[in-house]
Amino acid sequence: MTALVLDIVTTAAILFAVASGLLIILGVLKIVNFAHGGFLTIGGYSGLVVTQLGLNAWLAYPAAVVAGIVMGAVVERFVIRPLYDRPLDAILATWGLGIIIGQLITIVFGREIQFVQTPITGATSVFGETYSLYRLFLILAAAAVAGGIAALLNATRLGLEARAVIMNEPLARGLGINSGHVRFVTFCIGAGLASLAGALITPLSSVDPNMGVPWLVNAFMLVLVSSVSLASLAIAALTLGGAQVLVSTFISPVIGGLTIVVLAALLLRIRPAGFGHG
Amino acid sequence: MTNRARSNAMFSKLRTGAVIFALALVPVLGAQAQEVIKIGIPTGLSGANSVVAPSVVQSAELAVDEINAAGGILGKKVALEVADDGSGAAGAQKAADSLIFQKKVNALISMQTSAARNGMLPVVSRGKVPYIYTSLYEGRSCNKYLYADGAVPEQMVGPIVDHFMDEYKAKTFFLVGSDYAFGRGMLAFTKAYIEKKGGKVVGDEYQPMDATDWTAIISKMRSANPDAVIFSTAGGAPNVTLQKQYKAAGMKAPVGNLSVDEGTAKTMAADADGVFISASFLTNIDTSANKKFMSAMKAKFGDKLLTPNDLSVPEYDAVYLYKAAVEKAKTTTAEPVIAALAEVSFDGPRGKVQMNAQRHAPLTMYLGQVQADGSVKIVKSFPNVSPGEQCPKL
Amino acid sequence: MADLTTTPATLPRRAFSGRLVPAGSIAGLCIVAVVAGPYFLDSYTVNILVRSFLYAATALTVDILWGYAGILTFGQAAFFGIGAYAAGITFTYMDFSPQTAVLALLAGLAVSAVVAWITGWISFFHRASPLYVAIVTLALPIILVQVLYSGGTFTGSSSGLVGYNTFDLSVEAWFTICGIGLVVLTTAAWFFVNSDFGRLLIAIRENEQRCTYLGINAPRVKILLMVVMAMIASVAGYAYAGYTVVVAPEIGSFVFGTELVMWVALGGRGTLIGPVLGTIAIDVISAYLSGNLPYVWKLIIGSIFVLVIVALPQGIVPVLKTGLRRLWSAATRRDAAPCVAVPALIEAPEGRRAGTGSDAPALNVADLACSYGSLKVLEGVAFKALGSELLGIIGPNGAGKTTLMRCLSDGYERTGGTVAVFGHAIARTPPQGVVGLGIGRSFQTTSLFETLTVAESLRLARYRLDGTRMLSHAPTLALPDSARRVITATGLDRQLAIECRHLSHGMKRALELAMVLALEPSVLLLDEPTAGLTKPERTLIGSILVDLVQREGLCTLIIEHDLDFVREISTRIIVLHQGKVLLDGSVAEVVGSELVRTIYAGGAHQELAP
Repeated sequence: MTALVLDIVTTAAILFAVASGLLIILGVLKIVNFAHGGFLTIGGYSGLVVTQLGLNAWLAYPAAVVAGIVMGAVVERFVIRPLYDRPLDAILATWGLGIIIGQLITIVFGREIQFVQTPITGATSVFGETYSLYRLFLILAAAAVAGGIAALLNATRLGLEARAVIMNEPLARGLGINSGHVRFVTFCIGAGLASLAGALITPLSSVDPNMGVPWLVNAFMLVLVSSVSLASLAIAALTLGGAQVLVSTFISPVIGGLTIVVLAALLLRIRPAGFGHG
Repeated sequence: MTNRARSNAMFSKLRTGAVIFALALVPVLGAQAQEVIKIGIPTGLSGANSVVAPSVVQSAELAVDEINAAGGILGKKVALEVADDGSGAAGAQKAADSLIFQKKVNALISMQTSAARNGMLPVVSRGKVPYIYTSLYEGRSCNKYLYADGAVPEQMVGPIVDHFMDEYKAKTFFLVGSDYAFGRGMLAFTKAYIEKKGGKVVGDEYQPMDATDWTAIISKMRSANPDAVIFSTAGGAPNVTLQKQYKAAGMKAPVGNLSVDEGTAKTMAADADGVFISASFLTNIDTSANKKFMSAMKAKFGDKLLTPNDLSVPEYDAVYLYKAAVEKAKTTTAEPVIAALAEVSFDGPRGKVQMNAQRHAPLTMYLGQVQADGSVKIVKSFPNVSPGEQCPKL
Repeated sequence: MADLTTTPATLPRRAFSGRLVPAGSIAGLCIVAVVAGPYFLDSYTVNILVRSFLYAATALTVDILWGYAGILTFGQAAFFGIGAYAAGITFTYMDFSPQTAVLALLAGLAVSAVVAWITGWISFFHRASPLYVAIVTLALPIILVQVLYSGGTFTGSSSGLVGYNTFDLSVEAWFTICGIGLVVLTTAAWFFVNSDFGRLLIAIRENEQRCTYLGINAPRVKILLMVVMAMIASVAGYAYAGYTVVVAPEIGSFVFGTELVMWVALGGRGTLIGPVLGTIAIDVISAYLSGNLPYVWKLIIGSIFVLVIVALPQGIVPVLKTGLRRLWSAATRRDAAPCVAVPALIEAPEGRRAGTGSDAPALNVADLACSYGSLKVLEGVAFKALGSELLGIIGPNGAGKTTLMRCLSDGYERTGGTVAVFGHAIARTPPQGVVGLGIGRSFQTTSLFETLTVAESLRLARYRLDGTRMLSHAPTLALPDSARRVITATGLDRQLAIECRHLSHGMKRALELAMVLALEPSVLLLDEPTAGLTKPERTLIGSILVDLVQREGLCTLIIEHDLDFVREISTRIIVLHQGKVLLDGSVAEVVGSELVRTIYAGGAHQELAP
């Protein structure tokens, strides 16, 4: 029982961390960033580079954030910016970007599956159950990501402007907010967050050039049902992620893999606002 | 291949006529062009098998270098054509199409996933080239053009299960596999074997080949609390992630792994500490043939050497077996080479290998245990284990 | 053009056969090419091309859905996979025979049709966002693959099924069969998208909402289209399974779904030939290059794809085509503009108006309310309107006039109260259903279909009553007398072949009115039909309206700012103020009312001052 609850909470934490970057980009830029999987992969390989250079495993996280932001800046400038008025084309172009990122990584690092070192190893006892320490750490990490975004949105000028753009972009522009600048910075931060999430998930499994793709669709679904709100995203990750763990445990892991996609699609059909208000 | 409408027959005959005409030209043109014997290696450079595939290529490269240095086969040089099969059926078909029909290889010799092998077989039948499959596998894959020199469940399962029952007094087992021919086939055999020996299987679970999140299954294992667990996943990522997550979850039951090779074990090191494996090749085999092989590999690849293992060394053997068969048949034409393959043998790092048991090879098997540094200690050996009934109709 | 009206019937047929001859000869050449192909190409290329043909057929379905109907779909891979697995499973477990071959084909068609119908039902509903269908079709292949995985040994899970018996055909025979199939399919698709129905798809893509107000059940059209395209993809998958003797989850996967979209985008969406050539070229080049430079090749494709999406959203083929056409016109000094067929106008049969002979009032509105959150736009609105009444609705800006129109024509708009048309409550009926009850609505802002011609727009309005042709253009266009009168009076009948975007503002308003009248409504809702028109134009429209009401007994509601105009034509006036009915009475009562003067004096409109 304890293990099940921990599975649900840690799964939700992972999903939240993976989806948050996508969420803020969708919120501010109103485009679905299918290169998200590519940014996750960049994060994973940042971890690999840290491992290969023999550095402290904790350095993987800042390295991933920096790599993500740099990539994000380049991508925003040359690909995203011309596509603001064509949201469906933006899906396609960012998917193409994902392919480019995957192939560049293949050329540099090879296509085989590789492994990164884990900063925290071993298991600990929680209420009498032995549980993976790293998975427990991921709860903290997700909370830190959530706190970081919330602080950014609520305590900085950029956050204020971003919120204004999320709510009503024409009005925000009318008030003299440079929405182009807000978009640029937001995209960079979103890419950085995605990359960080990639570095966070790799110690659980492995890195390969296509590692981001399986995460993309679930993250995308979670973001859509949470209608651009961090709190709703947390709720969505917990309920849909929880449903996934329950189905995987009690029915079949294969069907479990479908849970988020199917539930989210049906939820959107019945209630287009998803977990959000309105 | 049953029905054929009459008009179709007419139609096919016309086409066939044209093809035969075209094919008749090929040897004439080919005689001048083909000064080398080409061996195709479709293998999983990407996807699940990508962890071991490069070591397979290295094995083949050494064999080909040695053969060419000694004058080639029938006086012709040997060349390799490597293609990525993506570890899956569709990719394997594309790879085989390209190797057989575009690169015109004389034979396919390769370690692949069972999905890739099965996907390729129709193309091989159409292309009519000898195909030596060099991976350990679930057994009973039978095709006119196919030989296998790797281990099958009859050879692999016994050593591990017997050891758990004898040394750990294990009664209950939990089986985890990848959901494809290999995982299912291996564990079906294992389950039957355990039950025959009086043990009990308290759970068997499968995940798709590319799955890397084992949380739910580990949680089931935890509640089933078995005396021992046996894994049979796709090689590479699923294997490593399962082993890592099992260890990280703090599970204590001893693990037998039917799909991990020594090379992968080495990359996992501490995560695989204590795991039992069953293999026809381990680097520590104490024979002069193996020592010669190991030092040749080190000399050729130096720092870049990937640990030779039970998935890569059969590739080395198979290249030599093909050489012997071609020399015996005195041609590279498929039919005589296929007939000769059962009759020739090769004394290599795994000892004497001859694929004379219904297209499969009796092998000397070893029970190994992974150490904390990733090396594998030989616990026991079982000479000349028969592969049992594999392809009685061939 | 001037003598169109005298010899109209001969023109369309000539135009049609004019299309038939070049299309037929191009298709014939292609068929000769695929029959002769195996004698010239090496066996590897022939082998690869069979697969490319099947992929191209599937890409073609993506193009029709995305390029023509505007439905971005990643789901065609799933239907390809369903067709393939239907064959794989049937042949594995029931062996191959002519009977099982037919059975497998039918099973694939049936399953993909049902799955497509469900997908369509989930994706297309009144007010669904176009992004939503992309999501659902994205989920579809993912779900299919998981279902295949969970099929365990039955579906072969990750390994798929292989080595079953199948059609005993040579590679060359497959090449010819698949090649001919692709040519026939592409030709049929070409006729389909250039038919009246093809225009309907474009109209839905350009302005789905407007289509629903023309009584077109856009969700149903899209669902049907998706079902048919799914069945075509399933046949391609079936052939793939028969040819390759392997079915594996990859062929129904999300990645294949995105590849199809990429091929279509690169070739040129909405061109048919672009996606077909694009798919074949990319697949064949991949087969040759991927062996030697696998990652670099994929990198190149990915980069070109991003570049094309960003800089050349129409794809590569249209760019080449424009270039060729320019060369052609330069060489021949002739304009290669396509010939546009113009249908002959004929009279529509009478007596199909809803509500004829009903005793109930044409329109009965009770306690109508509409609010957005806490903002109440309409509250407690109640009135009745009868046939032969021309009801003017006036009120200052923000009084809720347009919202009222919306609530009367779309069952989802109001938040309270009831609306009944000839005694039938509109309940929660989407606009296309409300049109069926007899309501026709025109819009305040001209919302026509830019790239459609006048004739095509009018035909769109007749879709509900007359249906449409799937593969050709109808030679005639039946219109009710009222619509014909608007057209002839304004001179639109001489501009039937003109694209709407080239019309003058007055003509656009007239077309808008003619389209609504072509619906043969019993209740007409007109939102500022004369806004921006010149005085003579306004008088013309006004007299047509009065005539309509008197001669045909139409119940007409008209929103107007120009009080003089309202006074001239109305039989009754309703004044809306702050979302409530302030006054409902005869023209004289309202114009003479002190209350109305006070409200209007507060701000809005000069026109009221007599």
